[in-house]
Amino acid sequence: MNQFNEDEIGKLLRLKKFEQPPPAYFDNFLHEFHRRQRDELLRQPLWRICLQRAQDFMFRLNVRTLASYPVAVTAVLICAAVISLKIYQTPQAEKVATVNRAPVIATTTIQDSNWSLSNPTATRDFGPTLVRTVKDSSHTHRATTTRYVLDSTPVSYEPALRF
Amino acid sequence: MEQPRSDEDQQLVARTQNGEAAAFDQLVVKYTPRLYGLVYNMTSNHEDTNDLLQDVFSKAYKSIGGFRGKSSFYTWIHSIAVNMTLNFLKKRGRRFHLSLDDMDASVQNDKEFLELTATSSPVREADLSELQRRLNEAMMKLSDEHRAVVTMFHIQGMPHAEISKILRVSEGTVRSRLFYANRQLQNYLEEFRKNPVS
Repeated sequence: MNQFNEDEIGKLLRLKKFEQPPPAYFDNFLHEFHRRQRDELLRQPLWRICLQRAQDFMFRLNVRTLASYPVAVTAVLICAAVISLKIYQTPQAEKVATVNRAPVIATTTIQDSNWSLSNPTATRDFGPTLVRTVKDSSHTHRATTTRYVLDSTPVSYEPALRF
Repeated sequence: MEQPRSDEDQQLVARTQNGEAAAFDQLVVKYTPRLYGLVYNMTSNHEDTNDLLQDVFSKAYKSIGGFRGKSSFYTWIHSIAVNMTLNFLKKRGRRFHLSLDDMDASVQNDKEFLELTATSSPVREADLSELQRRLNEAMMKLSDEHRAVVTMFHIQGMPHAEISKILRVSEGTVRSRLFYANRQLQNYLEEFRKNPVS
């Protein structure tokens, strides 16, 4: 005799669906489920119960969708406030300039013949004598601390006015 | 086994998500027999099945808020049940004993059972409890994953596509597991065929 074929295996296994729990089992299952849920609740620490209650409350209110627009608007307003505060608190750069910020090239009298078209960034050939950094000029005035210079006032080392 | 209407389930799920616990009770009542069969045939132990099933519904209730309906509730709850049972079986290992439910007397009138007793002499010669014991022992010799597929396909009558969704594997994998499991069951039941009464 041959082995059970695949069809017979299937039929045999399908007999297993007749294995059933006692008749009242399914009727009592829901009660048992509720009882276990209550037990589980009682066994939980207080903080977890409070957390779950809070979560349930938020979930019922559907806070996520309610809060999306106000939260976004508030975030934008806070960002705007921070940015505007930063802008208004910075010193006005056009009126005051620090001397030791960066080397400034003093261009006083330059011959037109020194212009060249070779390099777009450094088109002028100032020559060694004409280039003077602020650092150098500070040495001439013996300035040890940062000096603030008003733009509108001519600096002392500029060519003096001729009357 | 006929799959329940998903729109009905969707309504119950939505009501549960709105805080109506009674709607979840209806889902529990509806799915308990089906999931009982699934878990029981994977564990072959009534007490373990009961505990597992309680945990399955408890977990489902806790996570139903996150259920977005990408799959049907049927697939979702079956996935939870299968995964929890597979995890349980890994922990349980080989230390277990069969705790079988009685076979319903209506099996005597089942068309397939009558066909089997007519065509297969081992089934005819063995009494029902012996047949049940042999079948369960053969099932428990399969690996957990193979037993899950056999349970869902042969016993619960699910199509391959549904099993693949529940197990999150391809249909090809389901078919190959089924083929392999059938071959193994043929070998395990060979002794029963030769010697139906032991």
